[in-house]
Amino acid sequence: MFPAMTAVVLLYALPLVRSLASAFHGDDGLTVAHVVRAFTLYGRDVAFSIGVSLGALVLIAIASIAIAGYLTLGATRWAVRVLRWLYRWPLFIPFVVAGQLSRSFLSTNGMMNTVLIETGLLSAQSAQSFLDWRGLILTFAWKQIPFVTLLLAGAMAAVEPSHSEAARNLGAGRLRALFHIVLPQAAPTLWVGLILSLVAMLSVLSVPMMLIAGNPTMMTSMMAHRITYYGDYGVANALGLFSYALTAVTAWVYLRLTLARETQR
Amino acid sequence: MKAHTWKPSAMKALVLGLGFAAGIHQAGAATTLNVFTAGDDNMVAYVNDFLAPRFEAMHPDVTVRALGTGTGDAGSQAIYETLSAQRNQQNWGIDVAVVHQRMAGQMVEEGLLRRYTDDLDTAALATGENTRNALGVNVEGYVMPMFQSQIALAYNPALLAEPPQSYAELAKWVEEHPKAFGYNGITGGMAGVGFVFGWMYAFTDMADTLQNGPWDDEAPARWNDALEGLRAFNDNVTLTPGNAGTMDAMNRGEISMGPVWMDMYYTWKADGRLNPDFRLLLPEPGMPGQPMYYTIPERAEHAELAAAFISLATSPEVQAAGIVGEFNWFPGIDAEHVRGELSDAQWETLYADVDPETLATRGFSMPQTDYFRAILEAYEAQVSR
Repeated sequence: MFPAMTAVVLLYALPLVRSLASAFHGDDGLTVAHVVRAFTLYGRDVAFSIGVSLGALVLIAIASIAIAGYLTLGATRWAVRVLRWLYRWPLFIPFVVAGQLSRSFLSTNGMMNTVLIETGLLSAQSAQSFLDWRGLILTFAWKQIPFVTLLLAGAMAAVEPSHSEAARNLGAGRLRALFHIVLPQAAPTLWVGLILSLVAMLSVLSVPMMLIAGNPTMMTSMMAHRITYYGDYGVANALGLFSYALTAVTAWVYLRLTLARETQR
Repeated sequence: MKAHTWKPSAMKALVLGLGFAAGIHQAGAATTLNVFTAGDDNMVAYVNDFLAPRFEAMHPDVTVRALGTGTGDAGSQAIYETLSAQRNQQNWGIDVAVVHQRMAGQMVEEGLLRRYTDDLDTAALATGENTRNALGVNVEGYVMPMFQSQIALAYNPALLAEPPQSYAELAKWVEEHPKAFGYNGITGGMAGVGFVFGWMYAFTDMADTLQNGPWDDEAPARWNDALEGLRAFNDNVTLTPGNAGTMDAMNRGEISMGPVWMDMYYTWKADGRLNPDFRLLLPEPGMPGQPMYYTIPERAEHAELAAAFISLATSPEVQAAGIVGEFNWFPGIDAEHVRGELSDAQWETLYADVDPETLATRGFSMPQTDYFRAILEAYEAQVSR
């Protein structure tokens, strides 16, 4: 108990407290100047971070429900087996590699546009770069879909099969069985997966650094910018405050969901 | 730049970890010389593969260990954090630190570096302004340049036969050729930052003051026209993600011109990662560059060995064979001392696009530290918002 507490206090609580203190500490003692400066200069980046994260979460939710649903209710055995083998690959690819893949895939003359042009689906003149908020959403989603799918597929597999079989016997299609029987029972796990993905996306530095040129960009990029070019921990930590606030809200939701599940048991 | 008393513990833990990692190496050799270097992986490779064997041959009981701390100013920042975290210890875990110009000045001001070049036999070979002045800070005696890094404009002659030769021409040219020029703003690496500084040198009447000081509180109010011009300029350019992003975009033919670090450009060319037909130019009035410095921390455990190491690394033979021969970088010591060690072909390759005279007249230093910060903040407030 004691070593565990010490580790948590030293490695997590203390840095958090010092970071918060730094956000409100200036040359003349307590100040809100860092927070004001962070919001004035980087308010757009905060809004951008929230928008991109939410966009990616929607995409992750749709794709993971589709994949996990097919893994659970799919009738074609070989297709289920291939999908089960394929979908996990991005789990083992680091964010930084995902960023580089996206950079060469989504740029104006990147692989995606080249393939579309070669196949006649796109004219060379109308090719455009996706290295902006769209690229960020696609990269985050690509990286996090397997993680959420893994959790969700496990939760769906744990749902009593007789429930969906009964629905199917009564004439429900597979889609209906998924959305009315299986998904509602696995939904808490989906939420947990999405919340953990949000926290991961808010903390990634490499992908926005590699994909986004100029502003607005993710908060992590601007934190790194303040430290690298200004040695300015005050504003960097003030930006951190916005991240803490977002993750604190999601942590609260996470705890409520976990408690609700424990109570159900 | 002011010292910051509050620093995230995670960062301290990281840098102490780096120091510890270096300390582990000491167990296996009689003496281990720890060389921490900011910059790309090739800096570490240069120390390990080129300098270390030569130094170890001269000092058989010494093992040289190189540790890279990351690219750009962040790499120098990590070295600063490492030394700063060990401030109260008897010995610091770094014997030689290779850092950028801006951090060298700050470290001298904070007493983290040792004065060592007074007794260094190669000190007289480096006489440039940057051996005395690091962005407005007097660093004489504390630094020896490893190599001179210069920002220039790379262009693709296949897309651009007659490139603009000055900032003023470039500003007009992008209006007629929207999105053909690309750079990485100020958040994606120093090539873009340096381009912005060059813009300020060109379009304010303060080029000299910006580089040498003194700081004037009223100065930023005089930059409005230049910054508004840059804002309009940005509407017609492609913003790229990072120094490498600019060269990637050139390779893919998405842009035909952009600012690059000349050393990085040459390294990519030598590795076959860049179109060999690309060329370089240094536009009027000029662009900034900076040296990487060899420094010795104030409480380095093996300070004398560190000085001997730097003496070897800044000798004309090593500068010619290593810095120019291996990388095609500009030497840190004065070029005239390296000339005799190079073949005519090597010399011509090095100065093929930008000759020594152009480099001397158009190669500026980075802005003095206060202006460095003020220009970036002004850009964030007026140009990128």
